[in-house]
Amino acid sequence: MTGLELAKLIPWIAALGAVVCGLLCARPALKGLAGWVCVLAIAAGFGLTCAAAMPWVTGDQHFETFDHSEITRGEVVTLARWISVGGSYDTQTGEQTGMEHGFNVDFGYYFDGLTFVMLFVVCGIGMLIAVYAVGYMRGDPGVARFFAAMALFIFAMTTLVMADNLVLLFLGWEGVGLCSYLLIGYYYSKDTAVAAAKKAFIVNRIGDFGFLIGMFLCFQVFGSLQFADILPAVQAKLGLIDPYLLTGGAAIAYERLYEVLQTTNASSPWLFYAIPFCLMVGAFGKSAQIPLFVWLPDAMAGPTPVSALVHAATMVTAGVYLIARCMPLFVLGHEHAVAVSSLSPLHLVAAVGAVTALFAGTIALTNNDLKGVFAYSTVSQLGYMFLGLGALSSTAAVFHLVTHAFFKALLFLTAGSVMHALAGTLDIRKMGGMGKHMPVTKWLMFAGCLALAGFPFTAGFFSKDEILAAAMIKGTGDHGSWFYLVLAILGLATAFLTAFYTFRLWCIVFTGETRYEMGDEHHSEDDDGHGDHHAHTPHEMPFWPMNAPLVVLLIGALAAGFLLAPPKMLVGDALPQRMHIAMHESSAYIPEQGAHAGSHTADTAQPDDAHAEEAHADHGHTEHHHEIAGLDAHLFMMILSSIIAIAGIGLAFLFYSVNRSLPAKAAAAFGSFTQTLREKYYIDEFYDRAVVQPLNVISQVLFVVDQLVVHATVMGVGLLPGNVGRQLRRTQTGKLQGYGLGMLVGVAAVALLLFLLLNR
Amino acid sequence: MLPEHLTIPFQLILPAIFAMGLLLPFKFLGTRKGAWVYSATTSTLSFAFSLYVAFGFDWANPGQLHYVGTIPWVPAFGLEFSYGMDSMSLWLVLLTTFLMPIVVMGSLVEVKGDMRTFHFWLHILEAALIGTFIARDIIFFYVCFEFTLIPLFFLIGIFGHGEKLKAAKVFFFYTFTASLLTMAGVLYVAWFNTTLTPSTPGLAEVYKSIAIDVPGDFHGNATSYALSHYAGQWTFNIKALWAAGRMMPLEQQLLVMLSLLAGFGVKTPLFPFHTWLPLAHTEAPTAGSVDLAGLVLKLGPYGLLRLGIPMLPLAVLAVAPYVGAIAVIGVVYAALVCWVQRDAKKLVAYSSVSHMGFCILGLFAFDRGNIGATGAMIYMISHGLATGGLFLCIGMLYDRFHTREIERMSGLAKIMPLWAFFFCVFVFASVGLPGLNGFVGEFLTMLGTFNSREYLGEPILGPWYAIIAGTGVILAAIYLLYLVGKIVFGPVVLPHWEDTGETGIGGKHEHDLSYREAITIAPLAVACLVIGLFPFPILRSLEPSVGVMNEAVHQQIEEENEQALRTGIEQVQPQSSFANIEMSWGTVYDIEPAEPHAEEGRP
Repeated sequence: MTGLELAKLIPWIAALGAVVCGLLCARPALKGLAGWVCVLAIAAGFGLTCAAAMPWVTGDQHFETFDHSEITRGEVVTLARWISVGGSYDTQTGEQTGMEHGFNVDFGYYFDGLTFVMLFVVCGIGMLIAVYAVGYMRGDPGVARFFAAMALFIFAMTTLVMADNLVLLFLGWEGVGLCSYLLIGYYYSKDTAVAAAKKAFIVNRIGDFGFLIGMFLCFQVFGSLQFADILPAVQAKLGLIDPYLLTGGAAIAYERLYEVLQTTNASSPWLFYAIPFCLMVGAFGKSAQIPLFVWLPDAMAGPTPVSALVHAATMVTAGVYLIARCMPLFVLGHEHAVAVSSLSPLHLVAAVGAVTALFAGTIALTNNDLKGVFAYSTVSQLGYMFLGLGALSSTAAVFHLVTHAFFKALLFLTAGSVMHALAGTLDIRKMGGMGKHMPVTKWLMFAGCLALAGFPFTAGFFSKDEILAAAMIKGTGDHGSWFYLVLAILGLATAFLTAFYTFRLWCIVFTGETRYEMGDEHHSEDDDGHGDHHAHTPHEMPFWPMNAPLVVLLIGALAAGFLLAPPKMLVGDALPQRMHIAMHESSAYIPEQGAHAGSHTADTAQPDDAHAEEAHADHGHTEHHHEIAGLDAHLFMMILSSIIAIAGIGLAFLFYSVNRSLPAKAAAAFGSFTQTLREKYYIDEFYDRAVVQPLNVISQVLFVVDQLVVHATVMGVGLLPGNVGRQLRRTQTGKLQGYGLGMLVGVAAVALLLFLLLNR
Repeated sequence: MLPEHLTIPFQLILPAIFAMGLLLPFKFLGTRKGAWVYSATTSTLSFAFSLYVAFGFDWANPGQLHYVGTIPWVPAFGLEFSYGMDSMSLWLVLLTTFLMPIVVMGSLVEVKGDMRTFHFWLHILEAALIGTFIARDIIFFYVCFEFTLIPLFFLIGIFGHGEKLKAAKVFFFYTFTASLLTMAGVLYVAWFNTTLTPSTPGLAEVYKSIAIDVPGDFHGNATSYALSHYAGQWTFNIKALWAAGRMMPLEQQLLVMLSLLAGFGVKTPLFPFHTWLPLAHTEAPTAGSVDLAGLVLKLGPYGLLRLGIPMLPLAVLAVAPYVGAIAVIGVVYAALVCWVQRDAKKLVAYSSVSHMGFCILGLFAFDRGNIGATGAMIYMISHGLATGGLFLCIGMLYDRFHTREIERMSGLAKIMPLWAFFFCVFVFASVGLPGLNGFVGEFLTMLGTFNSREYLGEPILGPWYAIIAGTGVILAAIYLLYLVGKIVFGPVVLPHWEDTGETGIGGKHEHDLSYREAITIAPLAVACLVIGLFPFPILRSLEPSVGVMNEAVHQQIEEENEQALRTGIEQVQPQSSFANIEMSWGTVYDIEPAEPHAEEGRP
């Protein structure tokens, strides 16, 4: 247990690093140290992760399971109390005694396979990128501020993946949003950067609003927001765990869920849909899916290491993590939807994922911004992950998350090298033949591009195949639905686009005639000892920290697929097997649904023996035995996607390396559609006109109303006594006749009243 | 060292004594710096004493009144200075004494004119605020409540900017008129109390359930003491009036509730009675703004929680949905208005209106765990810190550039990085970023609202209130980041102004925070972070006191729900329904003691 006891400090070491870096801001002489402080803090986190995860990875220790089921419990370690209301306390000991209507969330950390995988990604890739950033940011005046935000980001991100309750997860969730805001707006003198940062935060907030509502609903249903309570309760409802095995908070949560189901209308248990729907909105915001994807491309205004770490490898995958973590909640709705043949949030996740993948892929086709292409490809790849989640294969989604982190980080960092060499130029139309000046970068990026394009046996190939196969399996066969078949085909189309636009970029930048224009960003303290960038041709990174991490990422981009690939490709290797199972734990919450969606109920009395054995042996890997066109589904998809990837790559070489006049002709053939693509489907303009401007007009009107109606009314009332007085003053003329008349009228009135009263 | 029953009078009178000290004919007090140093020292001493009070507080029973004491005033008429402190009072007193030195520290440069007068009124304001928070007697409460207007009137009217006289007048008359209605309501309850008799059915039970106040040296049956000393007598003891209020039938409760809402709602401020606030804030000096937003606004929700909710459970249940709706409208409306402000200070002022909406929403949520009301209490504290910080930051800008126009400055992070850092901390605390203080209150109030209790089959507030208020969270990000994006980030633009030598800062004014300013503002930022990460002790101590306040309403809900279960929901009209009011002037002035409503109910 000591490993876990230490592991709960991972976020706080990063937080300490952030504080130290922050203090270094005030000491210009020591600014150079900030980078290494940050690296050290992340490395410590990585070390602790290794120490904590090792017993599980090597198989020495297993997660505790609920009896007679394969469902593991996560280990919960609590660091400190956070928010707690409504419990009763023992006045002597201060211990909480009852929480029936109370609300309690702590700084508690939840460890299971999914958490460890995410921690490895966050700390591992984070460390590599931080090392790169030490070189990249050298000499920048705000370097300490940069690394403070970076370390704070690691704090928030590790909190996010380790949280044992939704509220702490939300702390991390908003925390990464804050860091993203600070880092996108790092070059804060540029208006575009500030606007992009603001946009990112606000669009994320819209998603967070959904997340908040989801939490409220969860609390209403379960009376708790802790994963250790909610998830087992839902699993019990799904029939995966015997409800009598539940204890403590989980038992209470199950009871409350049961009660709620008794009282709500059984034919439309909207709660099944509402909770996952709200969480899904949150995930769409953070992970840049339609309709909330608009912030991510703009977010590239930040320094390149930030784009690599925050906006490609880790933060944007938080949405995928959230859904993977809360999979049982989604499955609960999904099961019901399948049973009554309607759509569930999980269908929506899949559909939005597939459509986003294709949509962003098409925008990337005509984009001319070096980082912009990668940004849209990130949106597109995230779409794949959501497709995987929607196809109930969170293993595939998390697998793609891991491989994507490697190759996308590699791509961004090599793009950063190019940018660095060209002093900030990003427009690929101004580049060409850079391979002669930067051979190493050329081939590093080539490898990254291969992985992104899904070239056979690279990391991206295996993970993308897993997702597409999962969708395909749900779309074909006896119980397949056309819905998933369409999505799988969209996914394949995207795979082609991905291969094409990736190598379009690579060909334009690195092949052909040499041409380049220097940008206007200078590094004040020159890293190669020369005085002025303008005087020099582009060159490789001279500073070793910028190159070393790239090599590690290269290995990851090419080999991570083998490491984690489907078990049959790994013969006798214990470690990957364990990793695979670890990732799989998130999807083990799902009843064996892959092959026969809808055919089972939660308490299938007697599954046929062969199937049960198989499921037992392979942890729900029933999909492997699905066949398409006489081939194993996975094999079929591998062959198909290989063909597609190679076709896309070949076409890109034809267009942009062999015959460069073809793209213009192709663009002309598509006519105005090309223009629409270049303008990114006018989405930003649409949002501006449809949402931002109307809201602003409403605000203006409300302000006018506030001044001219609300305030004026009050002021008018305030004038009333004065005006009344002023009018009455006129009667005080000082003339005796007037007073006499008044007296007469008064006496008459009183007399009349008396008369009326007496004669009533 | 100090007898317990004298602790609070000492705490109360300390700032007043210090204020009088400023009037002493010492020469150094006549200088700007001298008065300032004196004031900073004395307000820190007050804070130190309140820490001593907090240290001696019985944290095991935070829901009970401690340090109680009574000083007779006009015994024949039941008037007395009686005081006591539960955790609600304690935290608000701590907030007051904590903010005061900060405010004083921050008011060196800006104040034009007589420094002595300025700090005199600041100390008086502190005393009045403390008095309001510790009062156990409703007249004492009301006197202090109204007395806060006088120092603020002078602070705004003498030391403000621009149309300061207009702002001071509007502020004074608006809130004063509204609180007169409150006074009327309170007097009505006191008078109603005189119509009760010790044998009024149900009264003894109520006295028993609220742990009625008895003199410290009294050792006997508290209920019988209360029956003989409070029932049918002129008294202004808050708890006795709770009991009297609960004896009233619905229509009378409603009238009293409306009168309380008039005073406290305007103070909070509730939409649409908020327009005095932006005006007063814009023209007030920084110190006035911080005190106004941080402390004076808190009197509204505090008054409702301390007086209205325990006193008038029926009326509270009847008006809760309407007040909730007004609060929600206020949240969204004010947030939208924020977005189009050109004056940074006005923007923050409107944001207060929006934020206080959450507070009121939480108070009227009545969820089972009192999550909403506890959240509202901690939100008051958090809002005081974060908004106070924002006002101080903007005040520092005004000291330098003599303008608060958002359009006229930009990119200040470049030349004032430390200021920018603190400003961002307060902005994100206001936005409700988890880990900073704003989130705790915002989350709990919304959670409470969402899970509002079922009252005869319908939740009192319910999910839609929380969802609509939740859009305020998005809007808060929009308007505050708009502010930050304009003035903190972007290309450097500095406003030009003529240095007339009015203030201490002359010559090179675009410098970062001075040590004085940094020390002023740093404690606020630290407090924001600490409450954000470690709100547990505050929440835990607030919870029992809030529970005491909400007890009557919960009891009412339970009784009626039970009755509904017995008879079937359809046939039961909620007792607090407007359909039940036979509103005629006759019933209002009906002197007959009310029939006990709770036990028998209506068919």
